[in-house]
Amino acid sequence: MQRMKQTALDIYAWFERRLQLEGPVKEAVLHQVPRQTASWWYVFGSAAFTLLFLQIFTGILLALVYVPSAGHAWQSLNVLNHQIPLGWFLRALHGWGSNFMVAIVLIHMAQVFLFGAYKFPRELTWILGVFLLLMTLGMAFTGQVLRFDQDAYWGLGIGASIMSRVPWIGSGLVHLLLGGPIIAGATLSRFFALHVFVIPGTLLLFVFLHVWMVLKLGVNDWPMPGRVVRRATYMEEYHHLAHTDGIPFVPGAFWKDLVFSGAILAAVAVCAMVFGPFGPGGQPDPSIIQTVPKPDFFFLWIYTILSYLPPQMETPFLLIVPLLAIAILLALPLVAAEGEKSWYRRPVAVLVVSTVAVCFGVLTHLGTTTPWSPHMSAWSGDPLPVNRIHDATPLARQGAVVFQAKQCRNCHSVGGSGGERGPALDAVATRLTIDQMRFKVVTGGGNMPAYGKNLSPSEIEALVRFLETLHPANEPPAYDASRRTVEASQAADSAGEASSLRANEGSTP
Amino acid sequence: MRPLAQMLLACVVALITGCEHSPGDPPGPIPRPAEVTDFSTLYSENCAACHGANGENGPAIDLANPEYQALVDDATLRKWISGGMPGTEMPAFAQSAGGMLTERQVNALIAGMRQQWWRPNAFAGATPPPYAQPQDGNAHDGEQTYQARCFACHARSRQQITSPDYLALVGNQALRSIIIAGRPDIGQPDWSHLGPGGKTATPLSAQDIDTIVAYLASLRNSAQAANNSPERPAAATPTGR
Ligand code: HEC
Ligand code: HEC
Ligand code: HEC
Repeated sequence: MQRMKQTALDIYAWFERRLQLEGPVKEAVLHQVPRQTASWWYVFGSAAFTLLFLQIFTGILLALVYVPSAGHAWQSLNVLNHQIPLGWFLRALHGWGSNFMVAIVLIHMAQVFLFGAYKFPRELTWILGVFLLLMTLGMAFTGQVLRFDQDAYWGLGIGASIMSRVPWIGSGLVHLLLGGPIIAGATLSRFFALHVFVIPGTLLLFVFLHVWMVLKLGVNDWPMPGRVVRRATYMEEYHHLAHTDGIPFVPGAFWKDLVFSGAILAAVAVCAMVFGPFGPGGQPDPSIIQTVPKPDFFFLWIYTILSYLPPQMETPFLLIVPLLAIAILLALPLVAAEGEKSWYRRPVAVLVVSTVAVCFGVLTHLGTTTPWSPHMSAWSGDPLPVNRIHDATPLARQGAVVFQAKQCRNCHSVGGSGGERGPALDAVATRLTIDQMRFKVVTGGGNMPAYGKNLSPSEIEALVRFLETLHPANEPPAYDASRRTVEASQAADSAGEASSLRANEGSTP
Repeated sequence: MRPLAQMLLACVVALITGCEHSPGDPPGPIPRPAEVTDFSTLYSENCAACHGANGENGPAIDLANPEYQALVDDATLRKWISGGMPGTEMPAFAQSAGGMLTERQVNALIAGMRQQWWRPNAFAGATPPPYAQPQDGNAHDGEQTYQARCFACHARSRQQITSPDYLALVGNQALRSIIIAGRPDIGQPDWSHLGPGGKTATPLSAQDIDTIVAYLASLRNSAQAANNSPERPAAATPTGR
């Protein structure tokens, strides 16, 4: 036993003599950090770091099976999903790991911003962090393309059309991105190279520098109102704080990082197990048009904004806003290197973060609930609520057929299914009288197509008779008083008709 | 140490074996739309909106009615599904007619309908009038038959089927199919149950049906003639034949 221990120590000494890592590692591990810094608020950076390694690990395993060729990528993902034991779980881990990583990186950034941790001397750490965020998003986007299913295909198509709007060099950029004028085999090779070599390589280098600086400069001190950062005095103050009221980084602060990272990994595993992998959806083939392409979660908000912007604003928005946002993020630590760190003294900062968070939430929510493309198969696939059919008159029932056949349903939902370009029509009869509905259908307006020329008078009549039935049972339809007279006279007419029919009956031998 | 290691091992084993049945395990790969031949998928994506979720309670004729299934033959179904019923809202689905379904898929739909909705002896021994209309009937006779056999239920304005607007949208064949096979989902009795409250009554003869359809068609046509003034677009004449 003693001998073995001695041999082990000898071997260690042999390596240490040559590598000389013990000093720096000890220094990094044991360096003092201010006591309050060992907080649960400071665990997001290390969680992102952990997730990065989960992604690298699962990514390497995936790359063993994945075939980056346009003809085989989709197939190879299906092999992973269905033929290799737990292959689907691996894909799910990688997919959920990616979502978690984007989320954690964003939270980390918000926390660093709110805690003023980007101020002197940590400006470069922040700037590298901004690039890390961009690269993480880049990984998420290129990863989605590697899935190479319909969503990927159309997502990329939209990405390319955004790029092509850049003045002068637009088509050049598209060529560079796609490896040709169109999405083809070269596109996939290009994205594979980006996703597997270029971005991760740079990412690792930047992460190394980022962490290095965190260790060298020390973890940010807990912001206190009144403790103002000044270039001249900050370093001295920080060291004073760390040594008078400090604890060693390991284990004082580190155990929280470990626990949180472990919890995040477990969360990823649970999501992977319960929700499974993302896609692959249908085959990527532009000739298949029965598809509702939707981008991944983190890019949804962009599509929402685009679908609400007037068309002439789209290009400026797409080209200017992202650049502006990145420029602001990069310039932030240089402009605001000194001053208060505490959020109590930085109301604007708090306001900015909450506004951005609320906007992101709302836009994403809108993106998931209001489809920006019509629901293309509602007309033939979504049944109408049964009671609407039962309670209808034969004419209104035909109106329901017209409603389905003319694909009104692709923009309007009834009974909770259908598109959402236009308002849901479940209670339309309480808002509009039958004449107003007729007018709307015939003349359209406000993104509602005019159907006057495409429907026969009978179709219009049937349609509005159907729309008229769309009101909750306890709420009467909107009623135009003048209508009452018209209807009364019609009723008189048909009663007359009926009695004349009876009269006929009587007169025939 | 031992028990801990054992517990860990048990967890790992449970995880790995459990995974194969966990909710995340994805179902089979998504086939190309043209390769789908599963009846319920095809039906619910292409037909459910008009013919109802399970072939009934939709605005258009209930395909799940066993009497309808017994009345109509495969060739006719194929003809309507592939080519649509011109002049009505029943669209053409075959790729050859501009739709999205392949011949195999149309056949899968027919086979699926037969399997799910066809019942042996749907007419309980009775022989129904033929599905197709052999010749045009006499509209005048039809009016009388209508008064005698249909009016009792259809006089109420809620159930007016003599409205020209309604008739302009429904083809003769659909009328005929409904009169013979009924629409149990909405309460229309079949040809042999036209008594009060849907009780058995003297069945309509094939000729009765010809004449009723001719009568309804004449109401449609005279309304259209009146409508065809220059400022109103002409309504397509539904034939469904
Ligand atoms: C391209 C998508 C689209 C299609 C297809 C469409 N609509 Fe609309 N519809 C809209 C929009 C958008 C509005 C809201 C218009 C507005 O702001 O005034 C609307 C409004 C309406 C309204 C008024 C609703 C209200 O509450 O004010 C009615 C009624 C209506 N549509 C009926 C129909 C019918 C019937 C059809 C089929 C013949 C149809 N729509 C097809 C987009 C569509
Ligand atoms: C026992 C009563 C009864 C008799 C008799 C009857 N029907 Fe009906 N019919 C109904 C009911 C109930 C409906 C469901 C219609 C509704 O709710 O408006 C209906 C519906 C219909 C429909 C379909 C309406 C649609 O929305 O597609 C047609 C066509 C029809 N009847 C034709 C006839 C004809 C023709 C006759 C005479 C041969 C006839 N009916 C006799 C009760 C009757
Ligand atoms: C847009 C609405 C619509 C859709 C979608 C639709 N149908 Fe129809 N279908 C109708 C209407 C309406 C009729 C009756 C035509 C008439 O009124 O003359 C009909 C008639 C039919 C008939 C003939 C009934 C008869 O009288 O013999 C068959 C069979 C049929 N449909 C099958 C289908 C199948 C199968 C699908 C799906 C592939 C489908 N339909 C989809 C509206 C639709």
